[in-house]
Amino acid sequence: MIFDDLRAIQLRHGFLPKAELESLSSRTQTPLYQIHSVASFYPHFHLAAPARAEVRVCADMSCHLNGACELRADIERRFANARRSEVEIRDVSCLGRCDEAPAIAVNDHIFTDVTADRAEAVVRAALRGDELHDGHPGQARMACASDPYADAEKYGALRAEIATKDWGGVLALLKEAELRGMGGAGFPTSMKWDLVRKQPGPDKYIVCNADEREPGTIKDRFIMTHLPHLLVEGMILAGLVTGAKEGILYIRHEYHLQEEILGEEIRSCYRAGLLGKNILGSGLEFELRVFVSPGGYICGEESALIEAIEGHRAEPRNKPPFPGVVGLWQKPTVINNVETFINVPQILSRGVEWYKTAGRNGSRGFKFVGVSGHAARPGIYEVPLGITMREVLFDHAGGMRGGHTLKAFAPSGPSSGYLPASMADVRLDFKALAEAGSMLGSGTIVVCDEATCMLDMALNAVRFYRNESCGKCVPCRVGSQKMVDLLVRWTQGGLPETQYRADLALLDELSQAMSLTSICGLGQIVPAPIQSVLKHFRAEVDAHVLQGKCPSGICFTAAVRAGEANRVGIRP
Amino acid sequence: MSVTTTPTGSVEITIDGQALRVPAGTTVFDAARMQGISIPTLCHLQNETPVGVCRLCVVDTGARVLAASCVRPVEPGLKVVTNSEKVVATRKTLLELMMSDHPSPCARQRNSGDCELETLAAAAGVREPRYARRSVSRGHDDSSLSIAVDHDSCILCDRCIRGCDEVRNNFVLGRMGKGYAADIAFDLNSPMGDSTCISCGECMVSCPTGALTNKSVAGTAIAIGPGAEGFEAEDLLTIPVFHGVSGTFLELNRGAIVKRRFHKGELICKEGDFGSTAFFILEGKARVSISSPIAHVKTQGGAQGFFKRLTSTLAPRESDKREEEARDRTIPIDASVDLSYENPVAELGTGDLFGEMTCMTFYPRSATVRAESEVVAYEMLRNVLDIMLKNKTFRAQVDQNYRKRALENHLRGVPMFADLSTDFIEHLKESVELVRFAPGQVIARQGDAADSFYLVRIGFVKISENYPGGELVLAYLSRGDYFGEIGLLGGGARTATCTALDHVEVVRVSGEDFRQMVERFPNVRRGLEAVAEERRSANALRMQMVHSVPIDQFLSQGLMEAQSLLVLDLQNCTRCDACVNACADAHDGITRLVRDGLRFDHYLVATSCRQCRDPLCMVGCPVGSIRRRNSLEVIIEDWCIGCGLCARNCPYGNINLHPFEVMSDDPEHAGRQKATIKQKATSCDLCTHLKEPSCVYACPHDAAHRVDPRKFFAEILAQGALK
Repeated sequence: MIFDDLRAIQLRHGFLPKAELESLSSRTQTPLYQIHSVASFYPHFHLAAPARAEVRVCADMSCHLNGACELRADIERRFANARRSEVEIRDVSCLGRCDEAPAIAVNDHIFTDVTADRAEAVVRAALRGDELHDGHPGQARMACASDPYADAEKYGALRAEIATKDWGGVLALLKEAELRGMGGAGFPTSMKWDLVRKQPGPDKYIVCNADEREPGTIKDRFIMTHLPHLLVEGMILAGLVTGAKEGILYIRHEYHLQEEILGEEIRSCYRAGLLGKNILGSGLEFELRVFVSPGGYICGEESALIEAIEGHRAEPRNKPPFPGVVGLWQKPTVINNVETFINVPQILSRGVEWYKTAGRNGSRGFKFVGVSGHAARPGIYEVPLGITMREVLFDHAGGMRGGHTLKAFAPSGPSSGYLPASMADVRLDFKALAEAGSMLGSGTIVVCDEATCMLDMALNAVRFYRNESCGKCVPCRVGSQKMVDLLVRWTQGGLPETQYRADLALLDELSQAMSLTSICGLGQIVPAPIQSVLKHFRAEVDAHVLQGKCPSGICFTAAVRAGEANRVGIRP
Repeated sequence: MSVTTTPTGSVEITIDGQALRVPAGTTVFDAARMQGISIPTLCHLQNETPVGVCRLCVVDTGARVLAASCVRPVEPGLKVVTNSEKVVATRKTLLELMMSDHPSPCARQRNSGDCELETLAAAAGVREPRYARRSVSRGHDDSSLSIAVDHDSCILCDRCIRGCDEVRNNFVLGRMGKGYAADIAFDLNSPMGDSTCISCGECMVSCPTGALTNKSVAGTAIAIGPGAEGFEAEDLLTIPVFHGVSGTFLELNRGAIVKRRFHKGELICKEGDFGSTAFFILEGKARVSISSPIAHVKTQGGAQGFFKRLTSTLAPRESDKREEEARDRTIPIDASVDLSYENPVAELGTGDLFGEMTCMTFYPRSATVRAESEVVAYEMLRNVLDIMLKNKTFRAQVDQNYRKRALENHLRGVPMFADLSTDFIEHLKESVELVRFAPGQVIARQGDAADSFYLVRIGFVKISENYPGGELVLAYLSRGDYFGEIGLLGGGARTATCTALDHVEVVRVSGEDFRQMVERFPNVRRGLEAVAEERRSANALRMQMVHSVPIDQFLSQGLMEAQSLLVLDLQNCTRCDACVNACADAHDGITRLVRDGLRFDHYLVATSCRQCRDPLCMVGCPVGSIRRRNSLEVIIEDWCIGCGLCARNCPYGNINLHPFEVMSDDPEHAGRQKATIKQKATSCDLCTHLKEPSCVYACPHDAAHRVDPRKFFAEILAQGALK
């Protein structure tokens, strides 16, 4: 596999020297351009020798709300005289540590709740050549309400289903339970599985998308840490139901600990005969392995993820055909989110009736939500689906930090846009949030207090998409940049009203074209944050553009003007 | 990506209200076309797999989002609208987005007015784009001889990539980077000219904008002169040597290759002239010769009197044998043959290629070529020659000609190979490899295992040695020179790095053949060993000098290596120019001294040959007539054709051209002679025929001195004048 080869070279040299790539090309009979095309796509690979201390400051939503700009500026000041070959400081997209913001990565080791002093100490250690250790070793296993095996033998649902082999019955149960995808789109799981089950041919695949990278999304990290057995069980069940004999657990490369936990779980399943050629003596077969993502938000798009597994640039495919028909290696493929898989053994072992009553107000089952931003107790919470946002924020996450008031929240990261505090009674379910003009998505709640500039937050989100666009199609590649340009101009204020009106019309045209013509969800969702801010916080935007004032006191400070607080800077 | 399930039967759909039945698996784009409805697109070409990246071909199928018709297969009952207000508006936005970063008019629009993006944008009514322009240019790549790359005009439609992969199976270019920073790149992001690209032209033909354009479009066509004949690309392709060349490429390069007819006696090219073309003889015979007198400039004591004067005359080797004069070296020229010293005339015939160096690197013509019979030849520019040389058929013919006719002379031109037996030469003719190197390419690297012996066939090779803190150029080798023997005789590693300086072709003799040769021919071995030893000790001496010099500046000036410097003490010098006048007086009015140069403290190091570490004067001599004596002084061989390139190359103005009146054949009156001016290059000879250089002798203020640089600078250093 090309990524294994590239990682091995990078491990040896610290980067990918030309000569090594040339010999890789002749050894594997791969054209040079294909190797370069792939290696240059993933920021994880260095094509030139990196600095001795590569500092990456997370720039997205939760870290942004928790002083990442100021942190980065502070670190830059402290190493202002360092040579570029020694220290290189850059922004990085969400590191998946939103509950412990701000987070930084130094030479691929992640540190959380970082202060400038701590960052400086880590960088100095890296410069001395000390071995770095990730800041947080992870938590001890926690008991979760979702775990049906708290007092029972694990993999009970799988054992029971193997005994009856009634796979049609499993599908019927999932259909009755109305289980929907938990990764964001909410597609009915039984339909997806049934489609793959009905495809002819012996080769099919089950892929778990554990590449959560949407800013604020941290729930899969928690699930993989505490409920790895439910994930593995869900994937095996998916394989048995659909007839797929191979499963791939696609995990983001920043989740070292979870990679280990899952690796151990899979090994113990092989030892227990739950995976392999002859599962529990039934003659059924399923192999499962972990695939470490080469990185990038776009890899979370299901067809881009498939491209990455195949060793290509993670560029989404044109659909149809959908992966259920033409997926990995052109074969029918189930791709589901981590949380979707863990719901399957819950439903099977506890029954549909339990599942229906586990939620509230007509919603079903439990939902893991990550709360971050200005919350008093940021973290991952397991809540019944259907409770209100207010309950999540105030009963579970402890309300706002430091006695501040709630101004806005994103129900599911930047993709869901921002809703005002007045809508905090919205229920956490698919329908209610869609009606509110937002979406349940993956349950990534980011909260903002009254001192937050919403235009700044919209720009932050658009910039994230611009950085993470794969560049395959024109509307997303060019449009996301032009939208950043437009918003940067707005945050600088001082536009005549006629120009502002023209800009608003232009933004609408651009939003329309991006939503209608982009190949994948990334490009289609880019306009959401700014459109939601225009809808709910229009006066704030007007104040910026027309009067050159930021009501929250963020955008026109001396520090911003001096370029120190890089609110509107464009990442190289 | 294509659909793998094989669709069968036919499908009924509706496009813009018209019902039609098409085979299953047809795309909406093609179905619409069958119905006479054309959908605009930029990334889609009928002969390439559709990718759906420009999104211009979107249509409304009633779904939440629009569908790219080029990649959307029809399905039963599908209702398609290709031109609704929504569709037209989004297309216009997409065009405006692309136009906002497009350098309008791009190269293609300027040259042929058919940039597809600009045409579609104009048709859609896109005027001045309202979006911010890209702030930083994505760059240009001019390294390919035939194709210009303008990344700013690239819209990443992937047409070139598919052309290269799918149509030509060359697999050279792809996307690099991601998002807004994505670009196309060749190999590992090499300049196109250094990449594995064979310039087939498919990418350029595929490109919808001015991102990949033909360089001839940018105005490099050969002036159509007398004897030129027009032709069609198809005519060319019927000629065997053109077999396999892309017809599209020839079509696009129409102006860069011309068929010419020369009558008997007509001049094809003249030595010393500048040019940019090579000739390939299709039929007929031509005579190649050097018409400059085969002699060098000799200075000798002339008129006696109060001021001794020197006179310059032309003297051939027979009358003025200089030290280390190579015995019977042949004259290397820019053709498949070499000329002999005694009679510098040779014949070229069908299948011969000449003028390669002039064409590839713009060196002056090395010899005069005249038609001996009716001659038909193709004259071509660099971009075409480059393609031709990459073409297997043509390449094979040129190589075959060289092996048959020139290799033997070439080998025998190396004095110590004169003793090789005919059967061994025959063996070598078959076994040697003819290898090409691009400018800057390393032929052998210092420290690598020595595995071959090389003979330079075309171009210049830089031999250099690395030392801590720098690189020392040991020599520039040109046609007829050889290298690689030290490593082979020493039995181990390469002692120096050999780099192609320009378009270089070498004859590679394998280590095995080399071993056989030195075993069978003891004279060859002795000769090689002697030269190798000489080179080794000279190199060692030079390296030692480099190491003993404390100041980098001297190194970069090359002063320490000079044998002798003319130094003017500016405290005494009144700038009276008596030195310059004296030099001119001593050399027929042509001064070889310019009172200008590097200043150190109150000394001016006037221009005079300093035997530079990096002797630039030797690069490019079309006939290889400038070389170093073992004492490192520059010597100009008899067959100098007076083109003046060395004089222009010398950064210190130390080589001058000396005109002489000579009698030569009058081309207008057969059998008669007329006086013409021929030039010869000269450099300072230190007035070796006088007791003292005339400049020093003439200085009335005791300001001019000839000094030994090492001693001189050591003294200055001791005084602390130079920091």
